[in-house]
Parts: sequence; C-alpha cells; structure tokens
Amino acid sequence: MRSLFQTSFAAVFRNEVLLNAKRVAPYVLIVFFASNAVLWWGWGPAVETGWATNSEFYIQRNMGGFSFILGLPIFTGIIVGDAVIRDFRLGVDPLIFSKPVGRGSYLLGKFLGNFFVLVCCQSAFAITFFLLQWVPFSKMVVLPVRVVPYFKHFFMIVVISHLSLAAIYFAAGTLTRNAKVVYGLAASFYPTYIAYQLLVLKNVPRIFSVLLDPLGGRVGEGGLMKDPWHTSADVLNKLEVSYRLDQYVNRGSDIVLSALLLLIVYFWYRIDPVERKSEAFTKLTLSEAPKRIAYSGPSYGLIDSPIEVLPAVDQIPIPKVTSTRGPATTLFQMIAAMGVEFQLLRAERGLLVLTPLAIILSFFSVPFSRMPVEVSYSVASATNTANMLLLFLACVIVFYTGEAMHRDREVKIEPVVWSTPAPNSAFLLSRFLAITLLGLLLVVIGGLTTMVAQFYSGFTPVDFSAYLMINGVVVVPGIIFMTAFVVALNVLLRNKYLAYVAAVSIGAGLFYLYSIGYNHWSYNLLLYQLWHYANLTRWPILGHRLYCLAFALLLLALAHVFFERKSSRTSLNVAGEIIEDAE
Amino acid sequence: MQLRIDHLSKTYPNGTRALDDVSLAIAPGMFGLLGPNGAGKSTLMRIVATLQEPEAGSVSLGEIDVLRDKEAVRRTLGYLPQEFGVYPKVTAEDLLDHFAVLKGITDRAERRRLVTALLEQTNLQRDRAKQLGGFSGGMRQRFGIAVALLGDPRLIIVDEPTAGLDPEERNRFHNLISETGTENTVVILSTHIVSDVSNLCSRMAIIRQGKILSACTPRQAVDELKGSVWEGTVPREHFIPFKSQFNVISSRTFDGQARLRVIAKGQRPSEEFAPATPVLEDYYFDLVNRQD
Repeated sequence: MRSLFQTSFAAVFRNEVLLNAKRVAPYVLIVFFASNAVLWWGWGPAVETGWATNSEFYIQRNMGGFSFILGLPIFTGIIVGDAVIRDFRLGVDPLIFSKPVGRGSYLLGKFLGNFFVLVCCQSAFAITFFLLQWVPFSKMVVLPVRVVPYFKHFFMIVVISHLSLAAIYFAAGTLTRNAKVVYGLAASFYPTYIAYQLLVLKNVPRIFSVLLDPLGGRVGEGGLMKDPWHTSADVLNKLEVSYRLDQYVNRGSDIVLSALLLLIVYFWYRIDPVERKSEAFTKLTLSEAPKRIAYSGPSYGLIDSPIEVLPAVDQIPIPKVTSTRGPATTLFQMIAAMGVEFQLLRAERGLLVLTPLAIILSFFSVPFSRMPVEVSYSVASATNTANMLLLFLACVIVFYTGEAMHRDREVKIEPVVWSTPAPNSAFLLSRFLAITLLGLLLVVIGGLTTMVAQFYSGFTPVDFSAYLMINGVVVVPGIIFMTAFVVALNVLLRNKYLAYVAAVSIGAGLFYLYSIGYNHWSYNLLLYQLWHYANLTRWPILGHRLYCLAFALLLLALAHVFFERKSSRTSLNVAGEIIEDAE
Repeated sequence: MQLRIDHLSKTYPNGTRALDDVSLAIAPGMFGLLGPNGAGKSTLMRIVATLQEPEAGSVSLGEIDVLRDKEAVRRTLGYLPQEFGVYPKVTAEDLLDHFAVLKGITDRAERRRLVTALLEQTNLQRDRAKQLGGFSGGMRQRFGIAVALLGDPRLIIVDEPTAGLDPEERNRFHNLISETGTENTVVILSTHIVSDVSNLCSRMAIIRQGKILSACTPRQAVDELKGSVWEGTVPREHFIPFKSQFNVISSRTFDGQARLRVIAKGQRPSEEFAPATPVLEDYYFDLVNRQD
C-alpha cells in the first residue's frame, strides 16, 4: 500500500514547494516580514505606552495588523493565484495531464503546496516576534517567555484569513487561467474590503459584523481591547485573549468557504486548451500567390521543393522613404509609443476595472453628515479623496508600470523593438507619460465623482478651486514622483515581481515610519500628513513640491542611464531556474 | 557594404562557450549560417543585431563599427529574431506603422505608402485591419519580414525563420525572403535546416560549438563531394560493423534493413552500394561527423 508521501498529491505538493524555493519572491517576503516584526517590536506603540511586547493583547493586536496591512492580501494573490496558470504558461500542461494524476490530487497539491509556502513566509513574522522575547530593549516591558499565544493567534487570525483569500485567488486564477484577473482581484482587495467594512459591517448588529468579516477583523476584539489607548497598561498586559463562539464560527466559516471554493474549482476545472478568439483570417494558397512572387532561384539543382520562378518585374516596388533624427523625431516616437501603450491598456480592459474603483473610493470619501470642517466641505471632501486615492493610485502605478515596462519582453517583441534606432528615452518616457496620464485620468474621475457626490449631498457650494488646488499641488506631483520611482525600480531590478515587492516594501516601510512620527518632507515626497489647505500656496509647500519633481527627474535620469538594450533568450528549466540559452 | 566579423568570442555566465574566435566576411546577397541547435547562431545574430555584447572581437558593417555605433546600425538594420512576438490586440497595419515611426519615418504620407506596399509584398493586405493575435504562424512570420524590410535596410538578419512552418508557408517564405536580397543588401539567414540554405543562399558558413567549420558557396560544398557519395541497403545487423569501417553520413531503417549514405573517396564501399548525387546535407553531415 502506498503511503501518503508516495501519492500523486504529495508529488504535486512537493514540486510546488521546490518551485517556490527557486523563486526570489518568498525569500524577499520572509526578509520583509521579519524586518517588520523587528520594527513593530522595537519601535511600535508598546514601548511608549508600557504595553508588554509579549503580552497576549499585543501579540493578538500585531497579528491582526500584520494580516491586513503590509500588503499581505496582495502577496497571497501573487504566491497562490498563478499556481495552475504557470503550468499552462510554461507549456508543461500536456506532460502533466498525460500522466495518471487525478484532478483532485493535482488541484489540492497545487493549492496546498503554494499555501504552505505562503504560511512559511508569513510565519517569519510570528517566529521573529516570538524570538524577540529574549532580546528586550531598555524601558521595554517584557513578560516571562510565552509560546502558545504566538502560534494560537497566528493560526486564528493570519492563517485562516489567508486560507480563504488564497482559495479565492486560486479559484479565480485556475478557472480563468488569467493571471491578470488574480492581480486585478489582489489590487482591488483594499478598496473592496474597506468599502465592505464601511457600507455593510459598520451598519449591522455586532454579532453579524463579527460573523460576516472574512478577514476576521473583529476576531479577538471586545471588552478592553476595543479602546486600549484609554486602558492602563497593567490591565492590558494581564489580559488573556480568548475567542467566543461567534468568533470561532467566523473562523470556521472561512474554512468552509475555502473548501467550497476548492470544490467549485474541482468540478469546473477543465484541462483542455483555452479557446482563443481567433480572427477568421483568409487562408492564402500558393495558387493565389504567384503573381506576387519573383523568385530568382538558385542554380545548383539542390532545391528540395519546386519554387515557381517569376521575373523580377512582378515585385511590388517598395517606396523610398526618409528617416529623420533629432529631438522632434524622438518626441514623435515617444507620442507614438504612448499611443500604443494606451491602445494596449484599453485592450486589456484594465480601465474598465479601475474607473469604477476610483469612482467608488471617491464617492465614499465625501463626509455624509454635517461635521466641523477646517475650511469648507469642498476642502474636506477633496482632502479625503486625495488621501483615499493615494494608496489606490500607488497600487495602480506599481502594477501598471511593471506591466508596461516588461510587456515587450513577455510578448517576445522586445528584440524587434530594440533593434530599431529609436532612442532609449522614447521607450522610457512613453511608458512614464502613459502611466502618469492614467493616474491623472483617475484623479480627474475621482475629483468629478466627489464633486457630484458633494453636490447631491447638499453640501453646496462646490468649490472647484479647492479640488484643483489640492490635486494640483499635492496629488499630481505625487503621481509623477511615484511613476518615476517605479520606472527606475523596474529598470534597475529588470524583474517586475522584484520591483513589485521592492516598491510595496519601501512604500509600507515609509508609511510605517511616517505613522510613528518620523515624518519629514525630505523623505516624505507625497507630503503624507504634512500639508494643510491654508498652506498649499505658500512657499515651504511649493518648495517641497519642486523638490518632489526634481527628485522624479533625477529618478528618470537614473533610469535612462541604467536602461540597457540587452537581449538574451532566457527560459525556465525543469526546476524552475532561469537559464540563459547558449544558442 | 560588407559585414566583417573578426575574432568574435562570447562565453555565458554558466560557462558555455557560445562563440569561439568567429571570423567571417559577408558580402551583399543571401548568406546562410547553418548549424545544429545550440551551435551559437542566435548569439552571433544577436551580437550583430546590437542586442548582445561579445567579450572579444569586432564587427563592422561597411564603415560602421557595430559594437560601438549601435544607433547607426539600427538605422540600417532589419531583424527578424527566432522567437518573434506581437501585441495580439493590435492590428497588422497599426503595428507596422508603429515600427515605421520607431525607424524614424515621421512623414505620415510616406509611412502610409510604405506600410501599404509592405503589406502587399507580404500578401497581408487583406488582413491589414485584423488583430495580430488571430494570425497563423506563417502570416505572423510574413508580418515579421514586413517589419524587417521597413526603412530600406542594408543589413537583414533572419534567425531560424522557417522552424515550425508548414511546407506551404515555408515555400512562401522562401519566395519572399529571396526577393529581399538586392545587390546592396546583406541578408543573413540563420538556420538549422540545410535545404533552406541550399534553396536560397549564394554563400554559407557552417557553425558548430561556437566555431566556424566551413565558409564557402553551396556549389563548392557539393562539388567537393562529387564521386564520393554512395547509397545502398545492408542488413540491419551489418550496420554497426559497416559504420566502424566507413564514413556513414546518414542511415535510415526501412523494411527491416538499413539504408545508408556513405562517403568513400574513389572506392565503392561494397556491392550493395551505387553512386549517388551529392547534396548539401551530405557535406553538412560529413563535416559534423568529422568534428565528432
């Protein structure tokens, strides 16, 4: 009788773990999570408030934070979403499906293999946090060493929540066989979840808000933990966090949801090739072609297939053209390349997803009740929209710039594009401008939505200049800087996934620094929490914006210097390593 | 305009010596670069197409130093790589127009005339408004040729163009590529299919393990073997002893017997063998066998 380790499920599971072990992303995530655990431990609120860094309250609180922020829901999509798509992309699907591997074994092996890798990455946070009990800071309160709370809360809050998220991404990726669907879902996680919190969970009785929260945001919440800032540290440090029945039901429902999704995948999954929508192109036959053939065949009698020889007079004359050079040509090439970028953006239907998201976010940024506002309701609404769109725009810029910068390589058109005499600046700036314009388009849509929502809420007059001022001074330079930064990152790292991880890590790290008080305009180029409407037109702020634009320019110059047209044919070997073909 | 390649060497980080002191002089016309998979053909093509750097050696196209003045080469280069992709959602006409802009052809009227002529030339005029994602392999390859012909190139590089094409499309491709060579244009056809070279090229080189084994005309290559090629059938069990005794360049099992092609200068290998007309494949296999 075969043991579990000899089954096809185990083989698929092991293979997924081995493949992930060859990828860079899991290691980057491990380092990122572990370093965040160090940051949260040493420079988190515990030190200032006197909370014990290994109190059950603080452990549970940090696990909740870790599960939601730091982009973990997005990373879950990146690790789990394309598990099956990868086999089709690499063309190994016929080799796998021609073997006696059951559908259940294959799908479960794929899912659990990747989920196991994800949990290993996530556990870097919990393990680091656990080990830090032995290295206390001065003035830091540390209770006697404890073990169970770390693993209990990690499992309850992080693992189970991400199990259901992973199942959603896996189902979407496997059934559509389109990685972009997974990325779209991942990118829309935050706006969707926040909107769900605000629209649904906030307005239902507490028991339902606990039961219906897929991420378990309210699991473990209750009593003193609701408002820790007004509770004494001694009380919190002695608190034992336990879960109630409704909270267990919530966690159980996540597991059931995951199982249901996997069942759906099991029944709906098909291994046949995806039917591509092909054009009804004309089949040309040789009998139609001879009029256009002017072949002066060789005279060696070596031809292995007869080719009709026609006089050269039948050739189609190719008109002589003039090739131009110089800045005007470069500008023209840049605009043309930008046009192609927009054409491709439109074809990918990405805008169809992004536009409603921008509208939803902007709509909910309008204060729907009378409240004291700093200057006017327009200023409050425009400020809220700017802040609300910031994270959304950052995600859009990071993901779309990555797509745009690496698309040519992925569709294998890069060697042809790079063998043209167009300068590097045309390629770089066209992408930079296309993504910047996309960002601006979303800002305009967001601004208009907010104005309309404000008008219909009756908070008139709508002050257009406030929207213009806030977006013009704060948001637009921010978009320009973020795009330039991600362009430079993609040029330097030459790998879009590395660039994603680096951008998200740097962004999360900076926001964390800002939130704990290390906030200075020299390294906060988005001016997050550093501006007031009254100061927007005054010198220090305008100077900071010039600094931001100069920084963007510097990043673009850096990208230009390091941009290399170096083509090499690379492919993946069976172990998933990138190898360079010697052919 | 002549393409000169002098002492070119390239080693990959994994230690593979892709090019080992390669030197070639290629005059205008169709030049075939023949070699098995992994011989170094594509590496050589990518270096000449300014997309890769060698460790040593030089390449010049007329007065242009290919390794230094890349922009000048790109202005006069038409390149169809081995693996050539397209934006699937863009039409043939739009993408060809885009490449024309990248080539520096900024005048709209000129560009339109050129694009129309090239689509005509490659028999894609009727499909000009169709998205490239719906093109067959052969149509895509013809589109690649149209891209390579943009802007009156003086150096055209086509890398493994017929791999994966059905016989009809391959024939069509041969016709098309043979039209491109003018008296001022260097056309390099890199392939592992011997008949592609014998059908199209006036000069050729054989490359293997990064080294040039031979550079001559196909006629010279075939003439070298005149009177030396024999073909015959022997029982299968005699094949191994026969192979150790003679230079067997190809063997095929047919109806339980081994049908062999042998090179034996001046002597008939055995009674079962009759003289055969040499073809370029014989020269290629003979050369490769000798290296082994």
